[in-house]
Amino acid sequence: MATILQSAVGSEALIHLHGLTREYASRAGAVRALDQVTLTIERGEWVAVMGPSGSGKSTLVNILGCLDQPTHGSVRIAGTDVHQLSRQELDRFRAETIGFIFQQFHLIPYLTALENILLAQYFHSMTDEDEARRALASVGLGDRATHLPSQLSGGEQQRVCIARALINQPPILLADEPTGNLDAANQEIVQEHLRTLHRAGHTIVMVTHDPEMASLADRTVELHHGRIAAERRADLTAQK
Amino acid sequence: MFFRLLLESLFRQRRRKLLAATAILLGTATVTAMLAIGTSVGDKLNHELSSYGANILVTPKADTLDVVVGGVSIRPATAGSYLRESDLTKLKGIFWRNNILNLSPELPLHATLTQAQPSQPATVPALGLWFHHTLHYGTESYAMGAPAMHRWWRLQGAWPADAALDQAAIGSKLAAQMHIAPGDSVALNGEPVRITGIVSSGDATDRTLLLPLALAQKITGQPDAVRRVEVQALTKPEDALARRNPDSLSPALHDRWYCSPYANSIAYQIQEALPNAQAEPIRRITQGEGTILQRISGLMWLVALAALLAASFAVAASMTTAILERKQEIGLMRAMGASQFSVASLFFAETALLSLLSGALGYLLGSLLAARVGWEIFHSTIAFNPVLLPAALGMALLVSIAGGAPSVLRTLGMQPAAVLREDG
Repeated sequence: MATILQSAVGSEALIHLHGLTREYASRAGAVRALDQVTLTIERGEWVAVMGPSGSGKSTLVNILGCLDQPTHGSVRIAGTDVHQLSRQELDRFRAETIGFIFQQFHLIPYLTALENILLAQYFHSMTDEDEARRALASVGLGDRATHLPSQLSGGEQQRVCIARALINQPPILLADEPTGNLDAANQEIVQEHLRTLHRAGHTIVMVTHDPEMASLADRTVELHHGRIAAERRADLTAQK
Repeated sequence: MFFRLLLESLFRQRRRKLLAATAILLGTATVTAMLAIGTSVGDKLNHELSSYGANILVTPKADTLDVVVGGVSIRPATAGSYLRESDLTKLKGIFWRNNILNLSPELPLHATLTQAQPSQPATVPALGLWFHHTLHYGTESYAMGAPAMHRWWRLQGAWPADAALDQAAIGSKLAAQMHIAPGDSVALNGEPVRITGIVSSGDATDRTLLLPLALAQKITGQPDAVRRVEVQALTKPEDALARRNPDSLSPALHDRWYCSPYANSIAYQIQEALPNAQAEPIRRITQGEGTILQRISGLMWLVALAALLAASFAVAASMTTAILERKQEIGLMRAMGASQFSVASLFFAETALLSLLSGALGYLLGSLLAARVGWEIFHSTIAFNPVLLPAALGMALLVSIAGGAPSVLRTLGMQPAAVLREDG
């Protein structure tokens, strides 16, 4: 039976997943990574997705990021049923709606910090170097614009990744273990940036294993075996 | 941004790109060389085969007409018909006149040869020829004659002057038999003649007295007469159209046949210019040339195809590795909203740029190779053929795109999410 969770933050649902199932074929038969998940996320909400390995949290984030399609169920993001979009429309939708922050940063190694941000602009619409420089300055890296990723620390690379995710002002930020590869000092810096973004009204969906990171979110969703096993609010105890 | 990405990306993975570029370069160089040789081998072979002498023989038409009465041919064995020497200038007025390289009219006869010192006169075969005759047509003049037609003839001494009625050359065996040396004086039908040279040919000419055509005409009492004419023409190797009967062709095909320098069509035009003449290609040369050329062309195409295939596989192997190494980059671009088309454009533009650079170098290398091969085999260089440049670039593009496309498309088909989650 589907688990239905209602958010208390805001009234307008930015993301609505209903009866979401994702199966993968394997030699042993179909593997169900997500099983009848129903979830609503409001605009401006910060949701942490937790769970053990293989619980389906990455699959959930991939579907939210329009990088994967569910086997069954519907995904509505910002009022759009993404299942109805063609491949080209989905590419466009992803560029305009989603910003990704990766655990491994995924910066293009032969482009400078500034160019990595310009690249996101290029695939979205057109490049604006001043705007890209401002985005870099906003994460405290205004003086590292011409540095290659190999010349930046892990924390700095993750901040470039955050600036890149924000440059096109997407309504949703998807962060996959954003502090997973960082030391304590850099972890604190990235946490602070995420707090700032949340205060500015960004909707953040974050996969994490770290309870401390999860505690920053408005809500924590725990997945087990592809189902939502529990949901906690920052100010409430577990509902299930 | 696109060009920045393109240039930065082009100079990454240098070892793999260099490998792919080398494969394209060698492939296009081989194909360029093969095409350059293949397209000029016909001309080269023609020039080469022209050293083997005439490829068209012109005789009086009356010789070929059998007069049969009651089932018995009554045409005289000696068939005394002649062509007119003065008509030969007309052959320089035909459509393919510039392809007629040499004419060698002949007038055979028998003459009585007596050495200056008292000896028995002998009746010997003689042949009236042009040696270094100048043929005038309009304002142009052409040097023609038997020595240029039979380049394998070896001469000791000098050729007789064409206008001289008291000079002759003699075949080596006849000279040895009659103990005649260059500079000796002999009597020919009672008239004094000086032997200017001894000719060695390896055929019946060795037993023949070679006279200026004018002298032969004087001895036979047939001024302006020629018994047959050997024609050396630059021809196109025989193909299926060349072998067709021109009278059975449609007007369009007939025009094509007529305007192609086949030995057949040149012979046809010679007959038009000399209505009393029968012109026939000497088939052993024209057919052999066609066969040789066909085999050489087949070999060239086979080598070119093998080179292209090898290059294509090498590019495919190199590009597959190069692209798979960058699949996270592709996944990232896709996650940022890049369409499959824009990512594919980037990789194909990079491949195209690499292949065009390598293809241009391959063209240069191939042309140099062709020139070298031309020099080694035909002793004349094969000129750079600019028409082959777009062909070489096109092939380089085709090979690299065909080699790189499967890996690009396969990577584009992968789920960006799956690619991005792999450890870089």
